Amino acid sequence: MAKPRFMQLVTLALLVGGMSASLLLAQGKTFKVGVPLPLTGAEAKFGEMEKQAYEMAVNEINAKGGVKGTNLVLDIQDSGGKPETATAIVEKFITIDKYPIVVGEYSSQCSYAVAGVAEKYKVPYLVVTGAADKITQQGWKNVYRLNPPASLYNMGVFSFFENVAKPKTIAILYENTDFGTSTSKAMKEYCDAHGVNVVLFEGYQAGGVDFKPILQKVKSLRPDVVYMVSYLMDASLLMRQSKELDINPQIFIGGGAGHTLPEFLQNAAEASEYCMSATLWTPQAKYPGAKEFFDNFKKKFDKEPDYHGAEAYAAAYVLADTLKRAKSFTADDIRTALSETNMMTAFGPVKFVSWGKFTNQNRMDTLVLQVINKKFETVWPKEGASAKYVFPAPHWRDRK
Amino acid sequence: MSPQVAGQLELLGQVLISGILLGGLYSLIGLGMSLIMGVMKIINLAHGELMMVAMYITFWAFTLAKIDPYVSLLIVFPLMFLLGVSVQKFLLTPVMEADTVLPQNQVLLTVGLGLVLSNLALLFFTANYRSVPVSYASKTIYWDLKLGGQTISLSFSYPFLVAFCIAGVLGASLFIFLAKTDTGRMIRATAQDKRAAALMGINTKRITYITFGLGAALVGAAGALLDPVYYLYPQIGGPFTSKAFVITILGGLGDIPGAVLGGLVLGLAESLGSVYISLGYKDAFGFIIFVLVLIFMPRGLLGRGRA
Repeated sequence: MAKPRFMQLVTLALLVGGMSASLLLAQGKTFKVGVPLPLTGAEAKFGEMEKQAYEMAVNEINAKGGVKGTNLVLDIQDSGGKPETATAIVEKFITIDKYPIVVGEYSSQCSYAVAGVAEKYKVPYLVVTGAADKITQQGWKNVYRLNPPASLYNMGVFSFFENVAKPKTIAILYENTDFGTSTSKAMKEYCDAHGVNVVLFEGYQAGGVDFKPILQKVKSLRPDVVYMVSYLMDASLLMRQSKELDINPQIFIGGGAGHTLPEFLQNAAEASEYCMSATLWTPQAKYPGAKEFFDNFKKKFDKEPDYHGAEAYAAAYVLADTLKRAKSFTADDIRTALSETNMMTAFGPVKFVSWGKFTNQNRMDTLVLQVINKKFETVWPKEGASAKYVFPAPHWRDRK
Repeated sequence: MSPQVAGQLELLGQVLISGILLGGLYSLIGLGMSLIMGVMKIINLAHGELMMVAMYITFWAFTLAKIDPYVSLLIVFPLMFLLGVSVQKFLLTPVMEADTVLPQNQVLLTVGLGLVLSNLALLFFTANYRSVPVSYASKTIYWDLKLGGQTISLSFSYPFLVAFCIAGVLGASLFIFLAKTDTGRMIRATAQDKRAAALMGINTKRITYITFGLGAALVGAAGALLDPVYYLYPQIGGPFTSKAFVITILGGLGDIPGAVLGGLVLGLAESLGSVYISLGYKDAFGFIIFVLVLIFMPRGLLGRGRA
């Protein structure tokens, strides 16, 4: 019976040897980064777009030789858009996989949860899309944010108000999530400070079928501006039902997210016409590589990316740039390198600064887009606009 | 009458109209679940996911073959019936027959079925949001009422109105079917007492197939009617399963007219609550009523269901 045992030993030795050899090889050539993303659940659409954008950027980076001769590999894990799952994934990234940096997540809720874990273990975390103000207002030293905070999403809209619209009354409807609440609170504070009368300030639960009751209330208040913040397809239902009820403010403005999705144009169809929205990025933005990213993405995946895709794409480049400058691939050196980031990306300039309550927060101009002839056009600020804004929007019944 | 009063009346009227129209759709969703509950004594937690499947069938029929969502009811109804029959025949019945398996496990099986369906949809149809862009999606019928010198303008959404009428026709047909046909009587007999029904020579197994098929077909019809006014994505089922559950409890477990009433109550509660209390807690109103009904009227609003 000695022979089979010997053969078993040989096989075992070969297996173990082969595995450890491949592990060694892999360790010598790749650097893994943990990325939690919602690939299932209601936010899966965004998770998928970001995953594609991350992978597109990483492929480009690796094709050009990677970072210091090392290939970047993203370990993308599905959080289902649930903060508790995202927390568990990141705990595993840090304690078991020993990744020295975490990037990603989509919603504010999840990003905030992940940020707490990263801070606990002193591992740097780059927030890419989570926008609630509080994420970078905790004085956390390991949390860096690429996208502007929600309260700044409206900067472009504010300047449009001051220079063109000059509204007297406004109705604000927002999805009652972290993002919706932060963005609309910032809008309300601005309006209160600038003498714009807020006639309605109402949060709603995402995924409603029928918004007509509340829209009827909006109609009876006759505001100059109807401002809405919605993540998802609620944006198109709100617009469709506003058209049904023949609500005619001077302008409808969205607070980003749902109102900037390509699906918004398809689903709301003619009800989306002349609707404006705050946005962080458009393919017409004057940043190097912005248009190339848009065209390449569209060619590769047969769908249009919105600013979320651009954020993810830029995040991968910020990551590569940071790793190139880091003395070693340890959490401490990566954190030091992140702090010194000062670069231009397809999404815009990236530099982490601290002001007021914010720490390690990127700051950038935001834009306003408007749907004109069934296309998103950048209309504000004037320099860099791709089309002239239409204001006030014509009444629904007066349209052809 | 002052313009302020007229404005308030207009708001109230609009809120009631929206609530009732939406409630009609909810009733249709609840009917299927209540029917299944009555006969099989289980809550079908894959109900919303079955609706999701029907919504995708409608979506593809429209996108690929330009079939109007209302016409595609003729395809959706039989297809969903077959799907329901196969689920009962090949999944639920074998579990029911195994002695080692607790009866509650059929409910767990429906949870699993729901997960499988929504993840299959995610795999094949991707996570993208889709909609059925029919030409009449935002078509509206206005009704101007003269009241005390003031005009009150009420609007009826065309697709909601059509959905309400079709839901009404389907509901009425179900009543007639259950009351007048032999199969309908057999379903009611099985719901009342399965063993006695079997002793009377009813093939109760066949009746459970038909019941689940009908339940799936009804919620499928609701999905097809929802397509023109809503949007769809693979995980859309969950919230509608819980709505169907609330409706079934409101109506009294297994009470068919109760389910219709439950749907209307839920629709009205959501639309009244969102305007006069707070929009953010819209989904909470249904559940508050749900808890109150469970405490004070455990046999449902009509007091005829099983406690």
